[in-house]
Amino acid sequence: MQSNQTFADVFKAGGVSRRDFLKFCSLTSVYLGLSPSMVPSVVAAMEKKPRTPVIWLHGQECTCCSESFIRSSHPTIEDIVFNLISLDYDDVLSAAAGHQLEDVRRKTMKDYKGKYILAVEGNVSIKDDGVYCMVGGDSFLNTLKETAADAAAVIAWGACASFGCVQNAHPNPSGAVPISDVIKDKPIVKVPGCPPISEVMTGVVTHFHTFGTLPELDRFGRPKAFYNTRIHDKCYRRAFFEAGQFVRSFDDDATRKGWCLYKMGCKGPTTYNSCSKIQWNGGTSFPIGSGHPCIGCSEPNFWDKGPFYTRLAEVPFLGSDSNADKIGVIAVGAAAAGAAAHAAVTAVKKAKSGSEDNDKA
Amino acid sequence: MGRIIEEIYVWRLPVRLYHWINALCTVALFITGLYIAFPLFNPPLGEAVFFRGMSWWRFIHFAFAFIFIANFLFRMYWALFGGDKYARFGGFRPWSPSWWGKPFLEQVKSYLFLRSDEPNYVGHNPVAALAHFLFIFCGSSFMIFSGLAMYGENNPGGFNSVWFGWMIPLMGGSYTLHWAHHLMAWIFPIYLIMHLYAVFRHDVVDRTSVTSSIVTGYKHKVEEEPA
Repeated sequence: MQSNQTFADVFKAGGVSRRDFLKFCSLTSVYLGLSPSMVPSVVAAMEKKPRTPVIWLHGQECTCCSESFIRSSHPTIEDIVFNLISLDYDDVLSAAAGHQLEDVRRKTMKDYKGKYILAVEGNVSIKDDGVYCMVGGDSFLNTLKETAADAAAVIAWGACASFGCVQNAHPNPSGAVPISDVIKDKPIVKVPGCPPISEVMTGVVTHFHTFGTLPELDRFGRPKAFYNTRIHDKCYRRAFFEAGQFVRSFDDDATRKGWCLYKMGCKGPTTYNSCSKIQWNGGTSFPIGSGHPCIGCSEPNFWDKGPFYTRLAEVPFLGSDSNADKIGVIAVGAAAAGAAAHAAVTAVKKAKSGSEDNDKA
Repeated sequence: MGRIIEEIYVWRLPVRLYHWINALCTVALFITGLYIAFPLFNPPLGEAVFFRGMSWWRFIHFAFAFIFIANFLFRMYWALFGGDKYARFGGFRPWSPSWWGKPFLEQVKSYLFLRSDEPNYVGHNPVAALAHFLFIFCGSSFMIFSGLAMYGENNPGGFNSVWFGWMIPLMGGSYTLHWAHHLMAWIFPIYLIMHLYAVFRHDVVDRTSVTSSIVTGYKHKVEEEPA
């Protein structure tokens, strides 16, 4: 491992021309939403700063974040792993294994104390001291606490690390919690999504490397550059939404015409992500572009907000699945029945007292 | 029926105007809100640019929402600074145990047929005051705050998103906020039924002309019929 190399050194050693290097810097600035005047800062950071060491831990997850990450097209996975970040520890991508790899993690933690980025994929099982997620001979709960202690900042990759995802959906058998429930004293940037968009992932890393700080975050701790607007706001089918032209069945003519998927349960209007902007797999498409409603995978607890194909979430109510409208109609009916019953009693009492009065008279 | 022995001016013009604007807005908001959640009509055929199938309903909903908010704020002003004996918060003190005491219990008992006579109030009785506080004050406040938070989602960093956007993480996300706004909307038809029933019933039982009082402003005391 060659430490203290700058990005520019690595590019040069790899035979990348100065022109291509500057192209890369410009592209990265664009993805970060920076103004053109900031390109020199990106170039300077790439030339002067040593590569940022990254420790990438895996907890309870499906590795879809890594799968997304290795499909990044700007820059490509080869650039990232060999040239951009110094990915010192990653139990999925590392060549080493076992004790050898765990030693690397401890060495990095010691050598770059307070300087490395801790990237976490997956969430933490805290039930029964975390025995439901054992990695490298220890519970993931302990490993995470130990590694987070000396990190400069923490990146929560994906819906799991950010909000919990499917593991902490009801009934959450392993007591899974997002990493922000375990790490309280470090700045955490949440990059939710199942998985997050690869360019968003590399953009966050580059931002930290360039400025030495975390990107500006929203109320949920997500970088505003990528999670400031809803899918709906940038959706190319928005015109059909406003016009009231909706797909009503997956095999109707409207589907072929590519109308709005709102009535098919699309969660685009309530989902903050860049899918309709950056898209996936190098800008090939995104779910709505392929005719499927957004399932809101970057929103907190999206598994419990189902079903995916209807607008109103089901509410467990007295043991039965219902929705807001059903509950509302039942409550209104109950109020009307109550009023009618009350009126009947009033009438009976009035009639009674009236007849008594008449008797007296 | 007995002779009218007293005419009392209870609901002043601002209160009556508030009432009817509020009633109109609530009905319009409920109907347009349901439509937005479930756009019922058949989609128009042709180029999207010529149609307002959804944006029109949304526009009506937002327009009535802002009238509703302005009306609500006016009513708050009137309650606090209007100096109106029958339209202020004055006697409403649910935090104090004494408020839940005799007058409240008497009214509850009367509604539950545990008392034969009806306590008589010129303004709101304690049970009505509590219902208005829960349904109209708390309910409207929630609908206004959650509504403005959702409205602010259109323009991140704008006024509504800065001042009301905290509702989104509070409710656990934008979707849950929409859902809560939708569920809470149903308290208004429930309230409407109870409100209309209570008014009609009081009119029949007490004969204080409470129903017409919200148009004319006057309630009446009538002479007891000779036994």
